[in-house]
Amino acid sequence: MNNKLQAKDLINVGIFSAIYLVVLMAVAMLGYIPVFIPLLSVLVPIVGGIPFMLFLTKVKKFGMVWIMAIIMGIVMLILGMGVWVLPIGIVTGLICELILKSGNYASSKKSVLVSGVFSMSIFGNYLPMFIARDSYFETMRSGYGNEYVNALTNYMPEWSWLLLLAACFISGIAGGLLGKAVLKKHFKKAGIA
Amino acid sequence: MMANEILQSVSTGKRFKLDPRTKMLMVITISTVIIGGGNGGLMNIAKPLLAAVPLLMLITSRRSRAAIAYTAIYILCFAGERLLVPITSGFLNFLIVACCGMLTRFLPGIMMGYFLVTTTTVSEFTAAMERMHMPRQITIPLSVMFRFFPTVGEEMAAINDAMKMRGITFANPMRMLEYRLVPMLMCSVKIGEELSAAALTRGLGAPVKRTNICEVGFHIQDMFAILICIFGFAAFFSSRIIS
Amino acid sequence: MIELRQVSFRYEQARQENGLRDVNLTIGDGEVILLCGESGCGKTTLTRLVNGLIPHFWGGDLNGEVLIDGVKINEMPLYETAKIVGSVFQNPRSQFFNVDTDSEIAFGCENQGLPEEEIRKRVETNVKQYSLEPLMGRSIFELSGGEKQKIACASVSACDPDILVLDEPTANLDARATAALRRMLLLWKAQGKTIIIAEHRLYFLRDIADRIVYMNQGRIETVFTHENFISLGAEKLENMGLRPLSLNELQCHIKQPVQTNENLVFSDFRFSYKNGKPVLDIDKLNISEGASVAVIGHNGAGKSTFARCLCGLERKCGGKLLGQANVKGRKQRLKCCFMVMQDVNHQLFTESVLDEVLLSMEEENEEQAEEILKGLDLQELKEQHPMALSGGQKQRVAIASAIASKREIILFDEPTSGLDLRHMREVAANLWQLNAMGKTVFVVTHDPEFILSCCTYVVHMEQGYVIAQYPLDTNGTARMLSFFQDTADKPADLEGMVMM
Repeated sequence: MNNKLQAKDLINVGIFSAIYLVVLMAVAMLGYIPVFIPLLSVLVPIVGGIPFMLFLTKVKKFGMVWIMAIIMGIVMLILGMGVWVLPIGIVTGLICELILKSGNYASSKKSVLVSGVFSMSIFGNYLPMFIARDSYFETMRSGYGNEYVNALTNYMPEWSWLLLLAACFISGIAGGLLGKAVLKKHFKKAGIA
Repeated sequence: MMANEILQSVSTGKRFKLDPRTKMLMVITISTVIIGGGNGGLMNIAKPLLAAVPLLMLITSRRSRAAIAYTAIYILCFAGERLLVPITSGFLNFLIVACCGMLTRFLPGIMMGYFLVTTTTVSEFTAAMERMHMPRQITIPLSVMFRFFPTVGEEMAAINDAMKMRGITFANPMRMLEYRLVPMLMCSVKIGEELSAAALTRGLGAPVKRTNICEVGFHIQDMFAILICIFGFAAFFSSRIIS
Repeated sequence: MIELRQVSFRYEQARQENGLRDVNLTIGDGEVILLCGESGCGKTTLTRLVNGLIPHFWGGDLNGEVLIDGVKINEMPLYETAKIVGSVFQNPRSQFFNVDTDSEIAFGCENQGLPEEEIRKRVETNVKQYSLEPLMGRSIFELSGGEKQKIACASVSACDPDILVLDEPTANLDARATAALRRMLLLWKAQGKTIIIAEHRLYFLRDIADRIVYMNQGRIETVFTHENFISLGAEKLENMGLRPLSLNELQCHIKQPVQTNENLVFSDFRFSYKNGKPVLDIDKLNISEGASVAVIGHNGAGKSTFARCLCGLERKCGGKLLGQANVKGRKQRLKCCFMVMQDVNHQLFTESVLDEVLLSMEEENEEQAEEILKGLDLQELKEQHPMALSGGQKQRVAIASAIASKREIILFDEPTSGLDLRHMREVAANLWQLNAMGKTVFVVTHDPEFILSCCTYVVHMEQGYVIAQYPLDTNGTARMLSFFQDTADKPADLEGMVMM
């Protein structure tokens, strides 16, 4: 079989990218309430797992998931969410491809794993917050003093970024399992997966 | 019917158009420098300047509502930080610090992004990407994504209507998710198939370089904007080196 | 010249369309060929052989040869075939690749890598030739179905292919848009292009097609010349499962409505878009309960908006339905109306037909559900996933869930677009069945034959108003048919032949 990506494959990537983006934006609406912002790292991968697993059933060649991650990065960039989703997406996307290839694009366990890895690119949206935090807390030091800033860092400690990243991954796995169940219940039965 | 699109379908204004590549550079510059930048030295000039750029852009493109909202929220956060932080404590204090701080840093980038998205058409964006020699493995899925995004919205609206009509309510969140996503995905796959067939029978995928009749290019206003970006990055790096 | 020699094809995955068996056909340059037959006869499959989608897009077992000017198509890559064969499909909503009209028309040429100047010239020529100026510089999402099809045709013609393949292009179009497509076909024919068109609606091709190929179960059964086909007569056509060729040949069955004295009064149905443009403005509308009402009017008249408002789906519409005992506002109407949508895929949610019916019930009753399925000939499919069924079967599942909901008012939005004769009659029978149960039925439709088969009353809308309403007795039938005969085009094109 031809291993180069054909126009049909590229169109599929575009379609599922659009769907994933819609899911992302719909869930991100909750982000208007600031407390829910960390929650997005859990909700987006879970809900997004359903379309993502359907997408993976159409991925039989190298490159499709990688391109999807890159496209997500480009869209986040032009929306002003920062440049970080793109480089993180390039890395996670490549890892996804290697995992899928090792399973010959036919292993459902590896698909679930890929769902987890892919979801980590969402973390790119949070990274600016951690970068900003450092410099922001620095400015506060001069105004409010060391003790105050140290108290603040308790709420958002150094390692909290790791927690968020892990949340993305684990939720991605959960989304993958959820997607697998929906595949079986609906898409396979209807003949489109 | 209002189609919710990411980029525009048709051009809205003609005066002083900026090339999409310039706009992208501006978004990158503003978000990077303001979010990650240090303080002191050139940054004292660069940061307010870059924060004002989206405001200027929004005003010149007649997006007054967005411009007013931007200014209002910015002022609110600024004031909130000055006034509320000294008088609160504990988690609430952290929350206010986090919100105000985050917003003042993120808002300029997001507003610049909003400007990009509301003043650039899909054709212009794709043409700019192709000029940057982005491979077609990226430009084709990107165009399809922009084209399909509103369609997903349309499908979901129709499905929502069907759910309302049949009286399917918010019993179980898992069920709701199932009922909202499954029909949408089925319809999307079918539309995708038809879209592919229609594109392939018009020659998509030929091993030649695609032409694009949309006109994009750099003009004097782009040079001006790029200069500001260079200044911004210069300030950014110099402050990094100093600290 | 196109040649199909001993072609047999079987789809890789089981599909609704049949394959082909022993197809032999030669099409000369500049000929216009109409492929017709019942659903599943293989006409779509044959078009796919000519434009190369088989075997490059739809995989399967292909035997025999398909040659264009002596070159085997199946050995050409699709993008090469695309240069000589242009394709127009039936769904306007899924054909466009770009979001604006200018880019869409240029799309095919851009894919070939033609120089910019050349493309601009071609776009301009095509726009002028087909009078598309008012559509330029607009978002495709805003266009109507007919306008989208025009852009699709222009996009294909900009590549200047010698052969054009159209697969049921008018399935989702109304009479006006169909007439516009007919004009395009005439232009193409005058340019000497070879045209292959698969269709259910035959009337608009009456004087365009040179030969008519009648297919049945994957084989070519008969090839008629233009004269022979026209002289067949309505009865023969019906036996072949084909729609009549002209309005005059329609049989009028005058249906007796269920006699009731109850009246439904719809009052104050008004709706406008955000930009203030009013779409619907109905002061008062009286309908007898138990009627089977056809809602007719040109596209844009507000028919679908009326159906949606009636159903309670439009929040901004504050109309009231006054029944015998009570007044129903929007929320109550949501509970007493059921709509079978134009795209049934939007309203099927579960993983089995039985579950789908049970979903509509306030209290699940499997016995009752099975009874309903039996009445619609669906009991054998009860464990199947609704999305795996054919279009007609899905529609019956939606009707089953309508019955199960026990609601009194049932609405249908264009239930027969793209259906062949037999399936149209089936839908009419189902609708009549609903009426016999005492339900009031509203049908938004462009299909006069369908209306005559199952409706008792007509509501004619124009620009948001109800401009006429009448029962379908002898006079009413004549009025209804004259609406469909009026193509609202320039007199030069009027042939008195517009009909469904």
